[in-house]
Formats: sequence, C-alpha cells, structure tokens
Amino acid sequence: MKFAMKFAALAVGSALSVSALAQNKPIEIQMWMGLTGLGGETLTKYGEEFNKMQSEYKVTVSFKGQYPEQRAAAVAAFRAGNPPHIMQMFDAGSGDMMGAKSAIVPVSDVFKRAGMQFNAADFIAPARGYYGTKDGSLLSMPFNVSTAVLFYNKDAFKKAGLDANKPPATWPELAAAAKKIRSTNAANCGFTTTWLAWIQLEQFGARHNIGLGTQSNGRAGLNAELNFASNPAFVKQVQTIVDMQKEKTFDYKGRSNDASAAFQNGECAMITQSSGAMGGYVRDAKFDWGVAPLPYWPDAKGAPYATTVGGASLWVFNAPNRSAAEFKGVAKFLDYLRSVPVMTDWAKTTGFLPATNAAFKYLTDEGFYAQNPRAAVAIGTLANGKQGEHTGGYRFGRWTEIRDFYHEEVEKALQGKQTAKEAVENAQKRGNAALRQFEKTASTN
Amino acid sequence: MDRRVIFNNKFLPYLLLAPQLAVTIVFFFWPAGQAIQMSVMEQDAFGLSKTFVGLANFKELFNDPEYLKTFWRTIIFSGAVALSALVPALLFALMAERVVRGAMFYRTILVLPYAIAPAVAGVLWLFMFSPSVGIVAYWLKKLGIDWNPKLDGEDAMILVIMAAAWKQISYNFLFFLAGLQSIPKALLEAASIDGAGEWHKFRTIIFPLLSPVTFFLLVVNIVYAFFDTFGIIDAVTSGGPAKATEVLVYKVYYDGVVALNLGTSSAQSVILMAIVILLTAVQFRYVERKVHY
Repeated sequence: MKFAMKFAALAVGSALSVSALAQNKPIEIQMWMGLTGLGGETLTKYGEEFNKMQSEYKVTVSFKGQYPEQRAAAVAAFRAGNPPHIMQMFDAGSGDMMGAKSAIVPVSDVFKRAGMQFNAADFIAPARGYYGTKDGSLLSMPFNVSTAVLFYNKDAFKKAGLDANKPPATWPELAAAAKKIRSTNAANCGFTTTWLAWIQLEQFGARHNIGLGTQSNGRAGLNAELNFASNPAFVKQVQTIVDMQKEKTFDYKGRSNDASAAFQNGECAMITQSSGAMGGYVRDAKFDWGVAPLPYWPDAKGAPYATTVGGASLWVFNAPNRSAAEFKGVAKFLDYLRSVPVMTDWAKTTGFLPATNAAFKYLTDEGFYAQNPRAAVAIGTLANGKQGEHTGGYRFGRWTEIRDFYHEEVEKALQGKQTAKEAVENAQKRGNAALRQFEKTASTN
Repeated sequence: MDRRVIFNNKFLPYLLLAPQLAVTIVFFFWPAGQAIQMSVMEQDAFGLSKTFVGLANFKELFNDPEYLKTFWRTIIFSGAVALSALVPALLFALMAERVVRGAMFYRTILVLPYAIAPAVAGVLWLFMFSPSVGIVAYWLKKLGIDWNPKLDGEDAMILVIMAAAWKQISYNFLFFLAGLQSIPKALLEAASIDGAGEWHKFRTIIFPLLSPVTFFLLVVNIVYAFFDTFGIIDAVTSGGPAKATEVLVYKVYYDGVVALNLGTSSAQSVILMAIVILLTAVQFRYVERKVHY
C-alpha cells in the first residue's frame, strides 16, 4: 500500500509540474481515433493544420488501435481520471456512451460553454437522429458518416454475360447474378459481405423499415427489448445466405472488414460494404467497379426504405481535472472539423459522406456527385431514401457484444450446426440478456 | 548449518530482496487483488456505478453453458497442443542426438522457433493457411480438401493448435535433448550387448529415464497452452468462428476488453488464477520428488 501511495504521489507531482509549465505553452488537446489507412492519415493531417492556424491550443490526434481496442483504452484512461478530450467512437458503441451520462459532455453543451454557436440542424438528418436527443441537441458530433452499399466488379459482370450497368437491386437478383458469375466462372466467388451484423441486421432492418427492438429501437428507454426474431424477414435473410453458401455462390470471409480484401483482389465479384471503403477501392482495385444501393426484398411492404447511418462520431469526455480552457479548445477544434472546407475534403478523399448539410450542398453545387456517380449512391440511399419509423437508427447498450452474438449464431448456421431461425432467435435471446445487465448498471449512475 | 553468519547487517537481506518483492507486489499481488475485488462487484464500463454482488458473477459463469463449453474446449486445446508439441520434440531430440556431424547446426535450427514472438508465429501460420492467399491452403485446395478456417470451427482449431504447438516444440526439444544426454551410455551399451533393438531400448530404458522430464514438460506445456497462447489465437482467429477457438484466457480478454464486462471477466481471471496455482502445486509436489530417481 505504501508503494501505491508513493506511486500516486509521484504521479500527482509530475502532473502538477506539467500543468505549471503549461501556463505559457499552448493547451494540449488529446484526440483518439480508431481509423487506419487513408482515413487515419487524413484526420491526423487536420490536427496538424489546426495547430498551424493558431497557437493557443495544440491538438494531438493519435491512433490507439481499432475501434474496440481504442474504446477499451479510453475507458481505462477514464477510470484512471485522465481520458482523452475527444474520442472517436464507432456507431455500435454509441449506446454505451449514452448510458454513461456523467462520463461525457454533450457536444451541444461543449459549444454552449465555449460561447460558440452550434445548431444541431446543421448536420444531415439521419446523423442527427442517430446521435441526438429528443430535445434536439447532439450528444456527439457526427464525423465519419457512412452507410451500407453494394460494390460490384464490372469486369466480372461482363465476363459472366451480365449487364455491367444494371447491378442487382434486390436479393433475388443478387442471388441470380452470383449464380451466373459462378457458373461462368467469371470470378472465384460470387458474393461476400463485410460487417455481417451491421449490414444484414441493422441496415437490413432500416431498408425494410423493420424494428430491432421495443422502445423505438432502444431510443426511448433502457428497458428496451430486442424483438427482431419475431419478424420472419431476418430469418429469411440468414436462410438466403446459408443457401447461397451451400451452393458456393456466397463465401463467408470473416467478421468486420475481413472480406474487403477478397473484393479488392478480384476474388469476389460482389460485396456489401460500408461506403467508407470507397477511397481504398479507388486507389487499390485494379478493375472497373460500380456502386449500387443495398439490395432489398421486393415482396417486403413499402421497400426499399432508406438505409441508416454508420461510421463514427466524436465524443467529448468529462474528467474532474478538465479546465474551461480545455473545453474551449475542444470546441474550437470540433468547429474546425465541421467547417465546410474540412468536411468536403474529408468526403472527397475518403469516400465517407459529408456530415453537414452545408458540405453536402457545397459538394452538390460543385458538381462532385454529378461527376462521381459512385459517390452519389450512398448519400442517395441514406439521405434521399424513403424514411420510415425504423430508418432513424437504434440505440442499445453493449451493442458491440450483441453484434458478436449475431456473428457467432449466424456463423453456426453457416456451418450447418443450426437453422437460420435458431440463429436469429439465439442472437436475440443472448442480446436481451446483455441488455438487462446493461440496464442494471447504466440506470444507477 | 550456521548460514546466518553471512549477513551481519539485519536489514541487508531485506534490502536485497526488496526489488524482487516490489516487482511481485506491483505486477502480481496488486492486480491479483484488484481482480478478486472486481470479481465480486457488478459495474458499468466506466466505473461510474459499482455494486457488491457477492459470488453472483461466479454463479452466473457456472450456470452459463457457453462458459462450460469454453472450459472443455480449453482442455481439448491444451491436451492437443501438449501432445503435438511433445511427440515431435522427442522425435527430433532422438534424431539430433545421433547426429555427429553438424550437430550444432541442426540444434540451432530446431531451437529457432522459440525465439519468435507469439503474434508473429500466429501471423506466419495465418498467411500460410489463409483461404484466399495462403500457399498451404492452395495446396489443400488442389488436393480437394475444403479448407476454410474462417468458417469451419474444426479447421480453425487445427490451425491454432498447430501454430501454438510449433512454437513450443523447440522448448521441449531442448529439454528432451538434455534429458537424453544425461542417460548413462553404459546402460544403453549393456542393452545393445544383450541384443536389444532400438525400439526395445527406447521403450525399456530411454523413455522411463526420460519420464521426469516428460512429466515436467507436460505440465509446462499445459500451462503454456492455457495461458500463453493468447497472442496466437488473437492473431489467427480472434477466438472465432462462432467461438470455436475461444479458450479460457481468450474469453477473459474478450469479456473484459472488448465487451467491457468487467465483473464477469474478473471472475474468470480469478478462476484461471486458481487453476495455475493448482498446476504449479502439482508440479512442485510430484516433479520435485520424482526428479531424484
């Protein structure tokens, strides 16, 4: 114990001396991100540019591992009393962040405290619905916004005798195209998917306007229960993939972004993927490819609806030792990130969607979408698609884990160890158990 | 008898012990104490609310069929790793001992994998066996074997067992070689004069005399498979597909770091701690005694 005290004394001492030094130095603002590759490089560049523009604050953007690892690191830092000022958190972690009310400061408040103007309505409607509260303020600032789309290899389509300018719009069409591609051997794999739960559960739900759970998909209360298994559409979708896997027109290539390489190297002719992957394909894919909206079931009532928001948003952490000046610096940097030049540059470089209406308008007026029809597809299905009760996103605690339940159960179905119905039901059952635990720990703080 | 004479100063022995004790306290007792404390609490990820729940986390674990499955999976995994690391190592040691010319060369080559970091070893195997780009996967496909560790749980399990065992073969090899060299040559020569064949000699002389080494290695290998294979599993399969390669230590990581479910994760580490204490006790009790044959 003595050692612990000494250790703590040493830590406090050095922290004090650092803050004493900071009187003349610029105020440090730490931002942690979970992006690699092109996205990570670009975001780091914005931090450096901001530092050059002014001398009051010094922003450091650092990579702390992919989203789940970075989240764990931030949580550990918070528990130790020194979280980063800003953290980028992927969509699935939003519910957890919202459950930890005293750990965060809503971005709307951050701007208010800094005396700066902030209007939630400046952000595109789908993102506003996803990251906002009922009273219209924003909890986190949407930054890298994406949605699910279908990428397809035009060369493979031509080789298979398919119309390269008419990508499959529905799931039956996609299955038929995959079959054709395999029977003509135009590619070794017809269709694969990244982000299994995000695309086949969450985005699929929005596309058909089917809810995932009660309490407005978890947004109205912590007592929300998942009920997606009661809708046969989710079972049908899993069954479709299982059947396609059996006849080798679909190949399962692993969780998260694992399958992406199989499209990029030409092995798979079609992939459902985040629109944020576009920048990488522009740079690295050595064949002609196109983008199409996420397929839907034509027999579903009213389909297709809009897809929903994915990607990540920026959260501001609260900590006992945070000064008003630091929060002001945070607001200034966030203000820089949401500015039209940064947002448009971000969208053009990475393929993510512009998070603000102004940036979207700028890009449209400039003719960017007219010249880049591939980039227009995602914003089309997200912002201009038909909105319904269940297209505005969901908010459940421990969703990262619940997604993995879904992954595991569907993997078991793909292995032939259980039926599609069992897979969806088990995922829901395990998900609800996690939600009940979350409700217990989250509602008491 | 009168060893105390060496230290005239009363405090010197404690002073000399202090660095080691400090390391043990900071890196073992402190975190272990925290794990025990957290295993009886239920809390949210940020530590904003903490409630004492007694042994509820443990109860929940043992009522969870998934956890019990993980237990069995770990036993199978450890057994397979130990076996596939011990048998080839013994074989190599037997062969290396016979080599007269270039013995050092062969020995160095055989020991080399031990110097490779677990994650690197994992990535090596991952690449060789990756269904899309791996060379071995390509050969398997040529042979008509449907190989997909991304989807097939058994394929994935075989892959992590091979990767984990491969690294440990070198370590076992060293011990077996040393064990073989300490067997009195006179015994083997006497057996040869009596007309014993190679197999007979191995069965009746070499293997029994190697048994203390083998037992020691068995325990060490099981401990290795239980606790040190995290890096390999994380790099090769991340515990998937569908938990097919999730062993106890990986589940601790997943539940604690990815799912941020700290109570359950801590309870699992406490259970693992009990297992490692038990294994060490077994080793000390039996190996130490048997070593004096």
